[in-house]
Amino acid sequence: MSTTTVTTTTILLPEYLENIYAEVETSFGRFLSLVREIPGGAIIINYIRASYKNDPYRSLFELALALFAIRYFLASKFSYNEKDMVKLSDKDIDELVEEWNPEPIVLPVSDKEQWQADSNPLVIGAVASRVELQVPNGEHLKNVANLASNDFLNMSQREETKDAAKKQIAFSGIGACGPPNFYGTQDAHARLEEDLARFLGAERAILYSQDFCTVPSVIACFLKRGDIVVYDSGIALATQKGIELSRCTAYHFNHNDMDNLEKVLADLKPMLDEGPLTRRFIITEGLFQNFGDSPDLRRICELKKKFKYRLFLDETLSIGVLGATGRGLPELYGIPRTDVEVTTGALSYALGSSGGFCVGENAMVHHQLISSSAYVFSAAIPPYFARVASVSLRLLQEDDSVSRLQSSINFLYSKFKECQKLKKLVIITSSDVSPILHLRLHRDLRSRLDLPVSYGGPGSAMEKIVQRGDEHGYFDENYNRESQILQQIVDRVLNNHNILITRCKRILHHEKLPLLPELMIHINVAFSESELSEAFEAVSSEIYNVLQQL
Amino acid sequence: MSKTIPDALIDNDSPQEKAEKEFGSLTSKEWLFVSKHNPGEPLPVPIEDEPPYFILIATYLNYLILIIIGHIRDFFGKLFHPELFRDVMVKDGIAPWYANFESFYTRRLKTRLDDCFARPICGVPGRYIKCYDRTSDDYNNTYNYSGTVTERLNLSSYNYLGFAQSSGLCTSESIKTVEKYGTNSAGPRVSVGTTDLHLECEDVVAKFTGKDNALVFSMGYGTNANLFTSLVDSKCCVISDSLNHGSIRTGVRLSGASVKTFAHNDMAALERTLRSVISQGQPKTHRPWKKIFVAVEGLYSMEGTLCNLPKLVELRKRYKFYLFVDEAHSIGAMGPNGKGVCDYFGISSSNIDIMMGTFTKSFGATGGYIAADKAIIDRLKLDLTTNTYGESMSPAVLTQIITSLKIIDGQLNGNEGKERLQRIAFNSRYLRLGLKRLGFIVYGADDSPVIPLLLYLPPKMPAFSRMMYDRKVAVVVVGYPATDITSSRIRFCVSSSLKKEDIDYLLKCCDEIGDTLFLKFSTGIAGGEKHPGDYKKGIAPRWTLEEVLEKTPEDCKKAMY
Repeated sequence: MSTTTVTTTTILLPEYLENIYAEVETSFGRFLSLVREIPGGAIIINYIRASYKNDPYRSLFELALALFAIRYFLASKFSYNEKDMVKLSDKDIDELVEEWNPEPIVLPVSDKEQWQADSNPLVIGAVASRVELQVPNGEHLKNVANLASNDFLNMSQREETKDAAKKQIAFSGIGACGPPNFYGTQDAHARLEEDLARFLGAERAILYSQDFCTVPSVIACFLKRGDIVVYDSGIALATQKGIELSRCTAYHFNHNDMDNLEKVLADLKPMLDEGPLTRRFIITEGLFQNFGDSPDLRRICELKKKFKYRLFLDETLSIGVLGATGRGLPELYGIPRTDVEVTTGALSYALGSSGGFCVGENAMVHHQLISSSAYVFSAAIPPYFARVASVSLRLLQEDDSVSRLQSSINFLYSKFKECQKLKKLVIITSSDVSPILHLRLHRDLRSRLDLPVSYGGPGSAMEKIVQRGDEHGYFDENYNRESQILQQIVDRVLNNHNILITRCKRILHHEKLPLLPELMIHINVAFSESELSEAFEAVSSEIYNVLQQL
Repeated sequence: MSKTIPDALIDNDSPQEKAEKEFGSLTSKEWLFVSKHNPGEPLPVPIEDEPPYFILIATYLNYLILIIIGHIRDFFGKLFHPELFRDVMVKDGIAPWYANFESFYTRRLKTRLDDCFARPICGVPGRYIKCYDRTSDDYNNTYNYSGTVTERLNLSSYNYLGFAQSSGLCTSESIKTVEKYGTNSAGPRVSVGTTDLHLECEDVVAKFTGKDNALVFSMGYGTNANLFTSLVDSKCCVISDSLNHGSIRTGVRLSGASVKTFAHNDMAALERTLRSVISQGQPKTHRPWKKIFVAVEGLYSMEGTLCNLPKLVELRKRYKFYLFVDEAHSIGAMGPNGKGVCDYFGISSSNIDIMMGTFTKSFGATGGYIAADKAIIDRLKLDLTTNTYGESMSPAVLTQIITSLKIIDGQLNGNEGKERLQRIAFNSRYLRLGLKRLGFIVYGADDSPVIPLLLYLPPKMPAFSRMMYDRKVAVVVVGYPATDITSSRIRFCVSSSLKKEDIDYLLKCCDEIGDTLFLKFSTGIAGGEKHPGDYKKGIAPRWTLEEVLEKTPEDCKKAMY
């Protein structure tokens, strides 16, 4: 045992301090004897004495340190910085409260924007392939050809799906009245999950209540702070929101540019090799909602295997459309679904129902059952939605809807592609398999009109305006002008030819990636080639009429 | 035996029997009550008994033991059965889907009571619910289904007004809509998905809530999750109740606004936060905030408490913040006319800036709405992502909403709506007071149809749920992480479809189970005195089941002592 030198310094203490000291010492002694009384208490005291070499000051010091550490960890990390707080008296605060006036909740819609709301069509009755429209002046247009619907296979209007819906409603009512984890799961849900998994060749499926909420929730379920995402710079808003929500580290590559993807992955490799093993995803879409084209899935699969990433494929648009039997992008490339780790899709597009889904391996889906917020915190979809989607899946496997749709797509696409008149006016960004034809103003025309190369995106003026929270700046003159030009075409096609087409109506300040306005023609299997020819003539002539004047 | 959920069996019930099982008929006019708060009176603070200390200590010990055993099983499991741990191991240089610690709670704690969750059902989740019979021989990893169902009394579904029905006006109208409109609306609202039915529904909702205009969406969670990005930004502050629903938290997080929380329903804490936030301004720059929102729920789905709307309205006048109220659970279920918390407190809806609610709970439908002044809705029609990018509401769902709202409002089916409202008020009060008198600790406001019964110890969750299940009652258990770690609970969701006799039976079951599981440890004060003047003498009341059944149906209509 080492000898401890105790230095005693005599300081004359005031009497009351000595009294306190004595009081503390006796009560501490009493406390110690009390602890000894407890069975095992003596052992604890002896242990502390031995480990602290009989030095009560050191014990106290370390106890204080421990208390400080606990306080530090319990302190809220997000509270105001104390130093940053200005000390104010109650009277000052009252005055400041009196003084403060908030900005209005929203900016009133200006005259320049009002046309956007007015241009949304109002359908009277069913949204079928032929619709009745009520135009703003109150007039009714009957038997309008609907080339704006997402129900490409016309499933929502088929007798089979309607009968299934009616039967299910008569059996179980409308709502599921509870989250899937609390008595909200019915046999209809289970059947659809099995049908989707079987149809797509995946182990298991999970259903969501809304198409728009599915992707963000799935992304946020698997990606946390520190995880890595490499995404295509053309992804849709829902996916952008998901990445934002997950707070993972995100990198992007040029839209559908596989060489650029390889470069991004290779550049990241040295950094990632050093750090801990994180979850890494490549996110892209089966059929881009913003372009109508598809990525080279074979290259992506090679790259993700080489660099050890998982592939997240959003097939919202492509299920029921791409591939010989409508099984999506992997079918088009002859790649098994199991090579795509996460697939998300929607029931509200080609399947003619409502909601979304995700398919993949068991462990992945199982984790979502308790960790995906849009699944856990939301009611299950109404059982009749599930039944309708199951019937749609059966129908598109039984009949030739998918191949008929594809030949219609091909027919209309080649009409537009071959049209010489439009060559200098518009560009087709969609591919020859996309059920939505995307047309943009031609580069030359746009530069002649003094329109910017693109709107928004990283580094743009709009991004800075959004960061500043300057709501007055959300209105972009050029974006409005270009959208209005396209709306003119839409209006003329409707008024002169009784055909409803649409244009992309994206909200500029919500989008994180650059975008350009587009004219969109949604193809529906219900139309014959002659009807499509008519539509082509109508649209192309009105595009020509409007754009030629500019 | 099959491993998958079987198809529904064909019903042999006559239409009358079926209707009675979905919505029990009223046995006596006595079992009705009008729920209303008298303006001017202070908001009664629900008495929340604290459990004895040894219960809390035992709860912590329970978790400790579960965690220790879990780690031991993990350690040896990884040595001897590595194939069971494939999902949390690195494979081919790819990280697992979820980390070991992320899934520890699920694997080692929740799986033990998984049979109490996600019990598959078929048919209408009305007064009775048909649950598939299932067993598990691998500790709840997979289930074997025999193909049969058992009907159980339903205290679990959000079916407050009993509109989950397969017959009646709502259903027949919805079926007609499917015939006329098809199965969906084929696109977002701004492209082609707006039909006359959508406008009618929005009109009905706006009138019902007392606001200028409304917007409807196909999903309640999505309504909140995407709303705040259009209202607030990083220069704004959202002050949120600490027990707000996950969807509100997701929405606020996406908006990038600064977030402050205040202790659940603590209006003094809210005022302190408001004073500090307004006087300090934005962090670092100290510039004034652009906007300040206070986000609360009308009825809290896990606590059964109501927001203190009178006080909130008073604070709103003084501090000029914008008030957002999520009426997911209260719309339809609260107030003499079913119009939510405003109706209940007798406060004009003009005092709330943004009213949000869902159709899943009281209306037997699905989806959500936002009701506000015309200027706000006009802006949101242009600037709300769900509206522009998401699918539009399905037609038959719209009809269900329109019809059920009109029934509640008395425009259809005469007095039926009123009766539904008064039945849920009576049922809620009766069950709540009965449970309190039996000695259980129950949270929430007297009129709230959400009744959480506190269990504290985690193993009591599956025990209570299974014992109830055996007695043919379906209940929901809620534990960590949905609640605080010590306050595991059973949540009863009362419905108008229940008869008074059903609640008698439920009280009897709770009484038996409460004795077996040692759950009756409240002071009994919350249930009122048995004989006037007892408290002064220090006597805590204890009621027997017979006494409860005899006295409570009448007593519950009076104000609590």
